[in-house]
Amino acid sequence: MKELSRQWKEGAAKNITFIVTKDCQLACKYCYLVGKNSRERMSYEVAKEAVDYVLNHEKDFPEKSVIWDFIGGEPFLEIDLIDRIVDYIKTELYMRNHHWFDSYMFSFSTNGLNYHTEKVQKFIEKNKSHLSIGITIDGTKQKHDLNRIYKGGNSSKERGSYDDVVQNIPLWLRQFPNVGTKVTISSSDIPYIKDSVIHLFSLGIHNVSINCVFEDVWKEGDDKLFESLLLELADIIIDDGWYEENACSFFSEMIGKPLDSKKNNQNWCGAGMMLAIDAAGNFYPCTRFAAYSLRSKKPIIIGNVRDGINKNLLRPFLSLDRTTQSPQKCIDCEVASGCAWCQGENYDAARTNTIYERSTAICLMHKARVRANNYYWNKLYRKLELEGMREEFEKNKRESRPFIC
Amino acid sequence: MLQYLIILLDDTATSFCHYLNPSKKRNLIPQETLKQGIRFAMMENLTIQFVYPEYKLPKGYEKIIDSIDHTKIMPFCAEYDHEADVYVADENNIVEILNVNRCFSTIVLRVSQYFLLNNIESIRHLIHKTDRLNISIVDIDSFNEEDFNQYSSALQILSQELQSQYKSGKTRQLNILTDRLFLTKMNNCGAGDTVVTLAPNGKFYTCPAFYYEDEADNLGNLEQGLNIKNAQLYKIDFAPICRHCDAWHCNRCIWLNKKTTLEVNTPSREQCTVSHIERNASKDLLERLCEQGFKFPNNSISEIYYLDPFENKELWQQENL
Repeated sequence: MKELSRQWKEGAAKNITFIVTKDCQLACKYCYLVGKNSRERMSYEVAKEAVDYVLNHEKDFPEKSVIWDFIGGEPFLEIDLIDRIVDYIKTELYMRNHHWFDSYMFSFSTNGLNYHTEKVQKFIEKNKSHLSIGITIDGTKQKHDLNRIYKGGNSSKERGSYDDVVQNIPLWLRQFPNVGTKVTISSSDIPYIKDSVIHLFSLGIHNVSINCVFEDVWKEGDDKLFESLLLELADIIIDDGWYEENACSFFSEMIGKPLDSKKNNQNWCGAGMMLAIDAAGNFYPCTRFAAYSLRSKKPIIIGNVRDGINKNLLRPFLSLDRTTQSPQKCIDCEVASGCAWCQGENYDAARTNTIYERSTAICLMHKARVRANNYYWNKLYRKLELEGMREEFEKNKRESRPFIC
Repeated sequence: MLQYLIILLDDTATSFCHYLNPSKKRNLIPQETLKQGIRFAMMENLTIQFVYPEYKLPKGYEKIIDSIDHTKIMPFCAEYDHEADVYVADENNIVEILNVNRCFSTIVLRVSQYFLLNNIESIRHLIHKTDRLNISIVDIDSFNEEDFNQYSSALQILSQELQSQYKSGKTRQLNILTDRLFLTKMNNCGAGDTVVTLAPNGKFYTCPAFYYEDEADNLGNLEQGLNIKNAQLYKIDFAPICRHCDAWHCNRCIWLNKKTTLEVNTPSREQCTVSHIERNASKDLLERLCEQGFKFPNNSISEIYYLDPFENKELWQQENL
């Protein structure tokens, strides 16, 4: 299986996220953003203050590179604002001779609906060499439209967004040939995962990052169904040769192994290492800690564009490790590697106001995935051995990377 | 493991630690609640520390209190002459304490860092007046770089005084300088782990500060028992910074942790730095006392090059690789 494309400057880049709007054309059923609205739009002044704060404190941001991330809601609803912010960032990096000059990227996760519009295309043309754009498409029309529906409809008149997104995929792939898409799986999506992954491959999207939602949405029997469909997916990918050109994060040789409690004690999640800014100019350790992302907890605001960052509030995030937040069953787990968590969901689901209690809602789903993953690699390697291709495969293969939000 | 139960006898019970007791209105613990609290402590094998208000308790209370072995924590005031195991004083009491013709067993002195840094001579004299002096700085979170430097200098003065006391055969204790000399592992506030608090409303709290901050933030009650959610987070093994630290005497105030970092297991930079300034001053004192022939559980404290173990994070994270 091909390697999943890695994030630009993975691990070496500071991620700075502007929540430019909390509005979106869609009302996806699995969206964790519980507080979306059309009122909270970032002003240029707040964005400028945020950029100034970050660039004025160069020593506090020593990372060699930076990813300026624009999210929503749907970020391209604010393309005029984004264009101004991006121009300001580029100018300031140059004027200040900042160490991020020429080592920056602008990143977008979009629903793709406005991708073809003149304004967005003009923006892409202007910044193409520093852009990373991911369009979310969940798979087949049936699967996509199950969750990714336009807002404003009622349950009897839901309108899916597949047709409006898929028409922009060829343009996107022409402009960014090596991009991938992120797919999110909830309980009701399980029956469609096999067809969806193959559908995305057939659209020309060679990298499919796919993960189960971290929220506690799973029903009894979901893991068994998930496992059986992953086994079928494994058969198709191998038997039909999809593995030669495509990558799906469900299958990775890195997952499903025990983890040493000392040597493999790193935190999975990057919350605290990134910086998110909302329309009011508040700073968050990650967007997942903003009020619109939280069901039951207060937001964790670590500062604002005027007063700066309260570094004491970052200490818990930056000293957090795997074992300190994990229950004993996770520490002892024989298939722990690749089992992910989201710090924001951990916080939201915790019994107390802490980021130090790991949610284990995906436990059975991870174990199902591991069993299917084992099957996948055993089957693939046997096929390659019988074809005399194993050695060449081993020589050329690169590890695929588990999906991180 | 739980070892102690603090019982607040009234909402106006004296603060003996970093927190401020904002209560002005009396709310005496009902006698029945007091009896139930004592019964709970007996059944759980806990040592009780009763915290007194400034007024004399009504008739009948002392008899109930004396039904169990205990420690009395009392405000330094005329009402409680010779009655306390631990007296709690503030800057307004210092002159009076110095003028009293007796030596106290234990005094907790609650002061602001400003007062401490500007009245170090008074505090030096206080060392003579008590076997043990516990200094509780009520605004640790307000220290800045200049304050850290001044604190280091102030500790040198107190350290010299302790050394001369030792020389004259008086082994006085000052929490911020001598505790580290006798410890071989972390010995901190213990709130939520070795000690919990029973408030006059019959509910348990992590410590008195949590009660005064938010009555709803309780750990159960006398009827239904203790229910400490995420109890592991109060233990040192679940404190990523503290478990790599050797400022073993650090108060590691759970309430201050929560207040400054939003997590009970994570101290602020100011807490860590203050404790390391004390640790390093203890190191110097230890070396001088050892040269004079005094013996301690450990005869040295290692040289380190940081004041905040969090800054050393990458090193202790790499040690695990």
